[in-house]
Amino acid sequence: MAETVWAAYDLPLQVRTGSEPVDAPPTLAESDDLILLQNEAWFCTLRWLVIAALCALALAGWATTAAFPLPGIRLDPLWPPAVAAVLLFLNLTYLAMIRKATRSARRSVLAERGLWLQIGLDLAVLTVVVHFLGSLDTFAPFMYLFHIVLACIFLPYAQSLLVTLLAMGMYLICLILEGTGAVAPQSVLIGAMCGERAVSLTVAAWQFGSVAFVSATVWYLASRLSRALRQRDAELSAINRRLVAATEERAGHMLQTTHQLKAPFAAIHANTQLLLGGHCGALPAPAVAVIEQIATRCEMLSRGIKSMLQLANLRSQAQHPPAPVAVDLAALIQSCLAALKPQAAKRGIEFEEQLSPAPVQVVPDHAAMIIDNILSNAINYSRDGQRISVSSRAKADGGAAVVVRDRGIGIPPDKLPRIFDDYFRTTEAVKHNRASTGLGLAIVRQSALSGAIGVRVESAAGQGTVFFLDFPRSPDHLETTN
Amino acid sequence: MAYLLIVDDDLDFASAVSTVLSNKGYEIAIETDCAQALDRIRRQRPDAVILDVMFPENDKAGFEIARAIRREFGELPVLLLTAVNQSFPLGFSNKDLDPTWLPAVEFVEKPVDFAVLTAKISSILAAAKG
Repeated sequence: MAETVWAAYDLPLQVRTGSEPVDAPPTLAESDDLILLQNEAWFCTLRWLVIAALCALALAGWATTAAFPLPGIRLDPLWPPAVAAVLLFLNLTYLAMIRKATRSARRSVLAERGLWLQIGLDLAVLTVVVHFLGSLDTFAPFMYLFHIVLACIFLPYAQSLLVTLLAMGMYLICLILEGTGAVAPQSVLIGAMCGERAVSLTVAAWQFGSVAFVSATVWYLASRLSRALRQRDAELSAINRRLVAATEERAGHMLQTTHQLKAPFAAIHANTQLLLGGHCGALPAPAVAVIEQIATRCEMLSRGIKSMLQLANLRSQAQHPPAPVAVDLAALIQSCLAALKPQAAKRGIEFEEQLSPAPVQVVPDHAAMIIDNILSNAINYSRDGQRISVSSRAKADGGAAVVVRDRGIGIPPDKLPRIFDDYFRTTEAVKHNRASTGLGLAIVRQSALSGAIGVRVESAAGQGTVFFLDFPRSPDHLETTN
Repeated sequence: MAYLLIVDDDLDFASAVSTVLSNKGYEIAIETDCAQALDRIRRQRPDAVILDVMFPENDKAGFEIARAIRREFGELPVLLLTAVNQSFPLGFSNKDLDPTWLPAVEFVEKPVDFAVLTAKISSILAAAKG
């Protein structure tokens, strides 16, 4: 005889619990501020790289001066660490400002102010670097392009133009100060045209013109491209918002429509009860049989509609989850069993109960839906005359455990991960019980996720299924034990 | 015997409930319109009101009538016929469903089990008498 294979599946549990407050999503303005602060933090990361590069330059300056002179290059080992130290101080200040702005109610103002402070001071520091590397003899002035491109990517059209003008203004000031002799021109190139010599006005004008022309061209191209991308991003965001709104509206309509479907079935159900209860006089046996069939099918449809409504409501993001309250799971299980036992008794199915008190903090209806669906499945997929075991106990850590074991048709191992999907039923399940809606375990999943309740299922085809429910300890318990 | 008012826009359903409760000996009236229901309560002062929640003109009309009854008639018992409860709110806000705020003394789920309904009616009438 082949050995029975038992397989296990743990329902993936989200971190979020049903008792946590559901935070409202940030508004557009709030999310813009947050993005701006994230970008500012990223600029700080970039600045660490610049500081590292300056330190490397200082080391190189020291090495080349001391032992390994490089032909044509004279690196001053003093200014790079001085600039790096300034940048280090500024970067730490920026990070503190970002942290403060993130927590502040005036986040928008502080974020904007911090950004322009970073831009202004960074351009000033870069101008110092350009001066020491060589404002006319080297390609250092083209480092302004890094700032211009970043501004085009992260800032609106007009603001990126302002950054470009600011960069060119600072470069012009550098050239003027050098040209007027207010500061001595510097260059890392030995024998450069302006090293230790007066700056020629014509050369300075041509150099400035070239840098300004390239900068303006890069600004124009990058800002155009960036604007097109931003426009497309805004369009996609708007489309996404409309889609979300449409989906929510459709879900709301479906919910209302499904609820309206209940009304006719409630009326049919009420009238079948009226007839079967003898309120309209005695009926012949064939008529009673027909009415019983109508009542049964009506009840099935009502059950299906109820399941759809329960699932839709559990999934509804619009509502806040109800607050958990103290519930004894043993009492809840007994209440569910009382409702289900008549149905089980018709098929000779009995329950073995080992119910110890199991106090937990849960949403009662969610816990009831989980237990009711698992017990209903145990009945539905047991064979006539079989026994179902139900146990509950409090756990030492403050939570509770519930186990429901049937000896029914079981679930093939490869189907286990899918049993919590909407409308999924194994072929064996469909053959065994046609009445099930296929939504019971989807409701279990949604309720369990809402309350962070662990669900483990072990099953062997033909041998039965065991559900282990792990109810977490309540926040109150955590507070008292801590 | 107690006089009960059924307020439900579905006349088929209300008639079935009415037949069963009449056979139990209750005196029954049916209203399918919310405004007329309040008018009838003012004129005839039933012992209890059996109230649906969703009406064609307003899907929360049952709650509104229940609150109007509490304001005007104090402790007049109201039994709501609905699948709505605290964790099953059909898009209503939790405030609408707060049982301490909503003046319904009992909820009965649709489709109605007549045994459950009659038991709950007996209990709310007994509680109202004190």
